[in-house]
Amino acid sequence: MPLETFKSSQSLTMGVELELQLVNTYDMDLSSSANDLLELLRRKPFPGVVTPEMTQSMIEIATDIQTEHGPLLAQLREIRDTLVRAGDRLNIEIAGGGTHPFQRWFEQRIFSKPRFEQLSGLYGYLAKQFTVFGQHVHIGCASPDEALFLLHSLNRYVPHFIALSASSPFFQGVDTLFDSARLNSVFAFPLSGRAPFTLSWDEFANVYFTKMESTGVVKSMKDFYWDIRPKPEYGTIELRVCDTPLTVERAAGLACYLQALCRHLLERTEAPPEEDDYLVYTYNRFQACRFGLDGMMVNPKTREQISIREDVLATLRHLGPHAEALNSQVALDEIERTAARDGNHASFLRKQYAASGSVQSVVRASVDALRSGPG
Amino acid sequence: MFSDVNFLLQSMAWPLVLLLAWFVGERLHEAASVPRVSSYVAVGLVASLFDLPGLTNAVPGLPFLANVALSLILFELGYRINLRWFRHNPWVLALGLVESVVTFMAVYLATGWFDLPTETRLIIAALSVSASPAGIVRVANELRSAGQVTERVMHLCAINCLVSVLALNLVVGYWHLSTSGDLVMAAFGSIHVLGTSVAVGALLGVAGPWLLRSQRIQERDVTLVFALAVVLLTTMAYGLKLSPLLAALTFGIVARERRVHLTNAQRGFGTAGDLLTVFLFVYIAALLDWTDVWGGMLLGLALIIVRTASKVACSLAAARLSGITERKGLLTGLALTPMSAFAILLLEQSRLYGFDPARQVLAVMAGMMLVQELFGPLVTQRSLMAAHETHVTKEG
Repeated sequence: MPLETFKSSQSLTMGVELELQLVNTYDMDLSSSANDLLELLRRKPFPGVVTPEMTQSMIEIATDIQTEHGPLLAQLREIRDTLVRAGDRLNIEIAGGGTHPFQRWFEQRIFSKPRFEQLSGLYGYLAKQFTVFGQHVHIGCASPDEALFLLHSLNRYVPHFIALSASSPFFQGVDTLFDSARLNSVFAFPLSGRAPFTLSWDEFANVYFTKMESTGVVKSMKDFYWDIRPKPEYGTIELRVCDTPLTVERAAGLACYLQALCRHLLERTEAPPEEDDYLVYTYNRFQACRFGLDGMMVNPKTREQISIREDVLATLRHLGPHAEALNSQVALDEIERTAARDGNHASFLRKQYAASGSVQSVVRASVDALRSGPG
Repeated sequence: MFSDVNFLLQSMAWPLVLLLAWFVGERLHEAASVPRVSSYVAVGLVASLFDLPGLTNAVPGLPFLANVALSLILFELGYRINLRWFRHNPWVLALGLVESVVTFMAVYLATGWFDLPTETRLIIAALSVSASPAGIVRVANELRSAGQVTERVMHLCAINCLVSVLALNLVVGYWHLSTSGDLVMAAFGSIHVLGTSVAVGALLGVAGPWLLRSQRIQERDVTLVFALAVVLLTTMAYGLKLSPLLAALTFGIVARERRVHLTNAQRGFGTAGDLLTVFLFVYIAALLDWTDVWGGMLLGLALIIVRTASKVACSLAAARLSGITERKGLLTGLALTPMSAFAILLLEQSRLYGFDPARQVLAVMAGMMLVQELFGPLVTQRSLMAAHETHVTKEG
């Protein structure tokens, strides 16, 4: 089946998806309770979309199509409040964070949907180790070629999003020393990584995808686990590298940082993307996962080393006018605070661990952070 | 010399029976996924049939050990109780209380069909309210079960046990009053047992976590400290003539509110907990007298039907209001079937503190206890499986 046509959508519209953890209230382990929660949520209209995910201890929420930070954050908060209230009725806590700090993957129940069962059959323990929680941001694109242009132009900014969102330092009960341990699980999948370099949708759909499909390896875009992938049926590109942050405020901030960045890139004042940009891509990505904002990245154009923190702050200085046009100054302030002062949520979680010495207190802190926002 | 051999055989009987129980438990679990605790009970029953020397409560210390074993489980149950949940979802609390009262009354009325003294009927009704934390917690842990049926069964079981202890002590107080006519003694007896047990448990629940925090005790040692605290609590309860079970449950509930985390690697107190559980179920089964069992079978079956019907009906009625499907409500009611270990130890305790009719009540209820002990855990297991709350062991 050929790749479906790219549905045009309004440029720079946004949609946010968050994968959230369901946690029991007594020992803070993951709780296989998605069915119960979804059953309760079905009784009332939900302020967005909520769907089951790979395992019973995870649910995914999605916002409507949004254009500005204010309404986006308002909807995320409403979704959060609805979930927390439903969780309270069922004695389940809800938390952000890219990984659960101490869950044992082999104890997670796989959701009984045929696709998930098929994935579980194919990937074995990888499917269960995939009990990790990400934020996906969709950005609307007017044309498929615009989508591919943005997708490849963003390559040098991918480390920013990894470092800013990183919230998975603990995995299987230990400090991994990575700020985002989650991405290591994602990279284990055979079709993860970057999209092939082409700026023409015609070439992407009719040459690359057709060839891939003929190998029998993929059937649809869903089989690619790329860091950024085009989503023809929505008319968007989807950034998939972010850990689910601990707060919806950070999630909205990241989405609007991406939106402002795309607006900047669409002015086409920067040198156009090229295949050689990807020479440093995996190195930069590793630095962001391992060291977060302290990681050193190489600028693919100038080949200069700069800390990710510095590069984020330098980028923010260019985005002022875009934030003004998009009405998202508050969001970019949140990003600036994160980079300059507060640090990402991985460092927040490490502080919690240092103070209490218990991974369960780390989950407790995540639960409280989602409920009450930053602070 | 010969008497030494005899003594040796006597002392070997217990460990050998426990080893056999463990072995049968593992094998049947593997072959037919029979809950391990049901196998332990079966082995205990067979052992009591042979009347092995030293297998009765004539051996001092065994009732104490059984109380420690059950107290550990009650602590764990208490630790799973989230009081805040009752505020967010009052229907769960209401269900627990209403169901306890309905079960008490239904069983009391049902015992009217049989020729029994009023005290016996009241005691049977009070005990029928309880659900066995040992059966339920062990089965839920064995299945690594999680979900609404599991959560609710735990919380309802705790409420049931509390109401049952309360009702039993009031009845015992009433009995003291009617036999001795001493109102002060009667009131002091039941109020002291209830109030002081709760107070001691709560005190330890506050002091324990405080100690752990102030000494910065490592997370992995927390379980050990709590286990020793439960042993201490049981000893104190014996000395002060309190209810060790009530104290342990309170201890767990309060400790959890103080937010000390138990590591989940040691759910059920690890290997030591497993060992004590084998002992507990074999011991409980060995307490039953086979002649009583057959005599009380008709009454037993009638009571099981009434008790189960009451629990299922209440749970079903409250299902939608409390935020779950009717199907899960039904399964919650069924999963509350086990009741014996808690009821038997509670009764034994009251006998120890001078409540004479206890032995007679145990004889009357023997049939009910036996069936519940053997098959209760199985019903819980099948209910949790039917609710799809168990961990799928099939690797894919």
